[in-house]
Amino acid sequence: MTTYDLTLKVHRYDPDRDKSWVQTYQLTAGRILRFVDLLRKINDEQDPTLAWGSSCEHGQCGTCSMKINGKPLLACELLVENAVAQFGTTTFTLEPLGVAPVVRDLVIDTEKAYFRLDKVKPYIIRPKAQPGEGKEHLVDPKSLERYVTATRCINCFCCTEACIASHHNFLGPNAMLATIVRLMDDREEEKEERLKCLYSNEGVYRCHSSRACSHVCPKGIDVAHYIALAKAGAF
Amino acid sequence: MADSVSVLRRWSLKFHPLLDAVAHLAKIRGWPYLAAWAHRITGAMLLLYVFLHIYTLSSLSDPARFDAKMKILGFAFFVLLEFLLALPVIYHALNGGRIILYEVFENRRDQLVLKWVIGLGGLYTAMLAVFMLAGNQSVSAPFFWIYTAAAAGCLTYVTVTRLRRSGASLFWKLQRISGAFLFLMVPAHMLFMHLNPAMGHDAQVIIARMGNLFIKLIDMLLVTAVLYHGSYGLYSIGQDYIRSAGARAGLLVGVTVAALGFAWAGLKLIVQV
Repeated sequence: MTTYDLTLKVHRYDPDRDKSWVQTYQLTAGRILRFVDLLRKINDEQDPTLAWGSSCEHGQCGTCSMKINGKPLLACELLVENAVAQFGTTTFTLEPLGVAPVVRDLVIDTEKAYFRLDKVKPYIIRPKAQPGEGKEHLVDPKSLERYVTATRCINCFCCTEACIASHHNFLGPNAMLATIVRLMDDREEEKEERLKCLYSNEGVYRCHSSRACSHVCPKGIDVAHYIALAKAGAF
Repeated sequence: MADSVSVLRRWSLKFHPLLDAVAHLAKIRGWPYLAAWAHRITGAMLLLYVFLHIYTLSSLSDPARFDAKMKILGFAFFVLLEFLLALPVIYHALNGGRIILYEVFENRRDQLVLKWVIGLGGLYTAMLAVFMLAGNQSVSAPFFWIYTAAAAGCLTYVTVTRLRRSGASLFWKLQRISGAFLFLMVPAHMLFMHLNPAMGHDAQVIIARMGNLFIKLIDMLLVTAVLYHGSYGLYSIGQDYIRSAGARAGLLVGVTVAALGFAWAGLKLIVQV
């Protein structure tokens, strides 16, 4: 069985002492272990105090997003052998995302990260009237086809982390995507408020089509394409 | 592109850690991300150069002083610098064209266009080097600029038409529109000036050329478009990174005052010469 001798340099933070440091862990791991498995292995065998987040561990919740050798990605989706092939090394630096304050080690305050998403109201604000008693809206398959990939966003904030515009004055590519999806959705009647948000100073003007969002998206969404549609006035 | 990353990485490991860092950044953020940074850096460089250019040309009111300045710029070192200026000029123009194609014309074959940016940029730079070395080309200024301005006008018109349906602000649209206009105009300006560098540095030749009303109009458009495009670009970068609202407002005021000041100096010069 192929195994790798790995070095993990983990950026740690202790809120009680307000102290940051980088801790190095050496471990041997099989080729198909994921990075969340490596972190669990460290917890079990070396250091139970290392904090990190995960929930579904199937690439659906975005809780385990972090930067590995500078690339924002989901730790539950990255296999050891793929990481070695991708980065050409067995030494990896693990950092928390910078989109929200760090709570401890690799865990960030996701509630604060979600503030920016809440601003765009990621739900149908004013639904179209029901077509009739007991009847549901039928979404035209052709119309759905235009934005169905965008609905796969899990709000892992990898795109926001990677964006050239930083995340201080920009709501973020995922927030833009959330509002664009609702603009493309036939069931949404509230277009004006959405467009106002989209064309605000924290909106599309902060996007410079560097397309890092599309490059890092773990769900393979071409985020930049949707934001570019908004700039071109497709809605 | 993935192959080019690994080739660049292998090459860089042999030669320079900086190239290694570039290859790593391309891997973790993608080539368009690097292209976007290069766009910003070249844009800031060109804006500074435009300020310097207007300042230098302002001495045209005293041809003897202008010729003395130009004599210094005739030294090999400055000629080399002038040639190297072609790199940010053509890169910023072509990459800007790529961004307009992506954002306004919904081109999604962006990776291919990025390769064209590099290829055409190299071709332009080589062509400019040949003209600078030959230094003996001559073309009528109104003839050259009628064709160039007509082509730039067409590109600008198509961009304006496409942007009509966009709900983005007028300022943002003007950034793209001025970009479409400058896409041909600035590289053409640089090319024209170097068809015969000796003549391009002669005060009397420049004054005689600028006496033409059509050339005056072209120069006015160039100064206005360049200063608007550059100052909006700088303001936009500040908006991305400056956290304090007060500092952002300060940057807006500073950039606007500087742009208006240089626009006034540039336009006054064009009218008076």
